[in-house]
Amino acid sequence: MKSAGLARPVAIRWSPLVTALAFALPVVFVLVPLAIFLVYSFFSVDQGQIVYAPTLANYLRFFTDPVFLPVFWRTIVLCLSVAVISILLAYPTAYFLTTLRGRWRYALLMLLMVPLLMSYVIKIYAIRSILGLNGFLNKALVGLGILAEPSTLFVFNMNAILLTLTLLLIPFAILPIFLALERIPQVLLRASDDLGASSLQTFLRITLPLSLPGVASAASFVFVLAIGDFLTPQMVGGISGFTFGRILYSQFGTAYNWPFGAALSVALAVVVIVAILLGERFGRNRGTSL
Amino acid sequence: MIAAPRLSTILLAAITVLVAALLYSPLFVPIASSFFPVARGEVDWSSPTVETYVALAGNHEILAALRTTLVVGVCTVVLSVVSGTLLALYYHGRRAGRSLLQFIVFLPFLMPPIISGLALLIFFREIGLERSLLTVVIGHTVFVLAIVYRTVLTRLQSMSRTLVEASYDLGATKWQTFWRVILPNLSSATVGGAILAFALSFDETMITILVTGTQTTLPVRLWAMMRLGFSPDINALVALILMFTILLCALAARFLVPRQIATQRS
Repeated sequence: MKSAGLARPVAIRWSPLVTALAFALPVVFVLVPLAIFLVYSFFSVDQGQIVYAPTLANYLRFFTDPVFLPVFWRTIVLCLSVAVISILLAYPTAYFLTTLRGRWRYALLMLLMVPLLMSYVIKIYAIRSILGLNGFLNKALVGLGILAEPSTLFVFNMNAILLTLTLLLIPFAILPIFLALERIPQVLLRASDDLGASSLQTFLRITLPLSLPGVASAASFVFVLAIGDFLTPQMVGGISGFTFGRILYSQFGTAYNWPFGAALSVALAVVVIVAILLGERFGRNRGTSL
Repeated sequence: MIAAPRLSTILLAAITVLVAALLYSPLFVPIASSFFPVARGEVDWSSPTVETYVALAGNHEILAALRTTLVVGVCTVVLSVVSGTLLALYYHGRRAGRSLLQFIVFLPFLMPPIISGLALLIFFREIGLERSLLTVVIGHTVFVLAIVYRTVLTRLQSMSRTLVEASYDLGATKWQTFWRVILPNLSSATVGGAILAFALSFDETMITILVTGTQTTLPVRLWAMMRLGFSPDINALVALILMFTILLCALAARFLVPRQIATQRS
């Protein structure tokens, strides 16, 4: 929001002490730790002791060892799938919201956002109990006669991670798509209607293209959150649901190789940054302002 | 004007209902099962009971974790509100270095928590700070700072400079203007930001797992318990936390929902 004219910004003069205080917290506890973290990725470990000498060994190992890259790619594909499924469910939902008028529109939007604020750990736990062998999903599928007996398809594997992450992240897809749809000027839709386009044509030629920036933001949000999540794979992944986050974490726990773990985190951070930048690049709303 | 519902509208509504059901299913399942006994990992739906809640009241580990969570939450709120408000005031109406520091403030919020957590873990080890509640509070504060900063900054940007000028014109000193004019105008934004900060801190798990010492917060405690399997008092606790969170959300919305939307609704 730009303030102009009468609503010029409130100006306050600051003493150097206050300035220093304002800078202290983020610089000391955000910038410095991340910088140290980056430096750590160039160290190595010898007999459980960290060797403070620069080396590229960690990065070489990441690219040459047959274990890490496949899991890395598999995790990226998994999170892309989460983003795609979330959008396929979120788009019609967001579209439906924008067809509502007045109070219903925002009340329903709020209702769909509330699950975001619920405890993350608890939701994962509940979803696991729904997907499990004795869970509701299996009970329902057996009850409907779709499955003969409870299946292990939905728990302790990649499917479980995919389903759980999607359930957790759908609200993050709904919001940007809703905002993009809401920003489309109604006059464009009416003009299209006046010119004789069918509602499907109007949707495909006007609404859909103009809402794509919102879809890009949504995809970027969901992907970044999915790839950074470690608790879901740990809880519902089991042995076959091995993701990059779990490998990364294991370097800090059982393997006790902090520098290598830091290097793996840098790889993760690079993916996250690329996804955020792509989201920014394609997520900007163009052509919707009249 | 209400048009007759078309097939496409019905289809869209059906998908929306499905999505809502999917989103709410993990919330209602624990609440519903909290009123029934659990035996060998299976819920016995035939005999409703409140014994899970009685068991919860006697679970000292959980109560201790709850206390820790509240202490951490309060400390986090105080630190992040003071520091976030300072930053917002400092950065408001100023260009130099703004985007850089703003970027730093937002980093822990944008980065996966596992990266922020591990970075802090290494940092604390290198400066020789033992893992304790202090390190948890620091972790939570840098994580929620962005939210408080953003909330206060948004309010500041919509505040008119004429208010401050009028205050000076009427002979108020800098501090009087700050305490009597600027701060009261920011109050609902700071309260809303504080509630959001508390809610985020209450739920934060990943960073906490990495930087905590012997004392655990509630999500971390739950995390440890859930990995071992189902237990009836978890369901009761989950139900209580959900209700508490709904209350917090309603409170935050009350302070943060923009006026236009509020009036549109009434």
